[in-house]
Amino acid sequence: GPAQVVDHYENPRNVGSLDRNAKNVGTGLVGAPACGDVMKLQVEVDENGKIIDARFKTFGCGSAIASSSLATEWVKGKTVDEALKIRNTDIAKELCLPPVKLHCSMLAEDAIKAALADYKLKQDPKKEESEKK
Amino acid sequence: QQLRRRFRSLQRALHPDRFGRRPPTERLYSEQHSALVNKAYQTLLHPLSRGLYLLELSGIQLAQETDSDADSEFLMEIMEINEKLAEPSNEGNLEEIETLIKAKQEQLTKEVTTAFERDDLQEAKKLLAKMKYFANLEDKVKNKKIPS
Repeated sequence: GPAQVVDHYENPRNVGSLDRNAKNVGTGLVGAPACGDVMKLQVEVDENGKIIDARFKTFGCGSAIASSSLATEWVKGKTVDEALKIRNTDIAKELCLPPVKLHCSMLAEDAIKAALADYKLKQDPKKEESEKK
Repeated sequence: QQLRRRFRSLQRALHPDRFGRRPPTERLYSEQHSALVNKAYQTLLHPLSRGLYLLELSGIQLAQETDSDADSEFLMEIMEINEKLAEPSNEGNLEEIETLIKAKQEQLTKEVTTAFERDDLQEAKKLLAKMKYFANLEDKVKNKKIPS
């Protein structure tokens, strides 16, 4: 309920950075022009394709911070494919975000996708390129 | 200059103080129009709000959603400035950060002006989005300067 937004805002989990140059780290950097919020989300993936660590840095409103904090909690322990299934609506529901803040949960979903896309690209750049065509 | 003169002359004509003894309908119009003139002045005074209003007149708004073709170098720059600002050790360097932000805003304002002159509204939209990020940074700097 409302307590959850406050909790993730006042005690956000996983604030920080991972080494973006590490091969098994994916970095997603996204922005929302209308409100000027910016969000960086990083994942560390083990040799079995499982996300073992996640960090975020978000500069924006409380709902954006809470959404990315929750996103990093949720991706931990999931495989890359499982994490791709996280929807902004799940985040919004968990945090009881009001309609006007739904775009914040979307920003978090996009940050997860961007981080995972970056990770995949680093694993096999040639394959990613040919899949894009 | 022109804006200020126009604002003043409109307010001279419309200000509620001039309508103290007029009938209720006239007093109401005076209040409403005076408030609108204030709003218009503030909107047109600042480059970001002015630019956004010009876009709005052409039916264009900044994207509500995540910007998927955002310049990632630009976002990194915004991240870095935010991080600098968040560091407690930088409390003494606020002026340096503020100067940087102002310089960026001035540069962007020039670029937006050029885009509007060329009637390139999509370019203006992209640049105004960038200005929005810097406007947020400007607010954060202001808030840091307020002694707590």
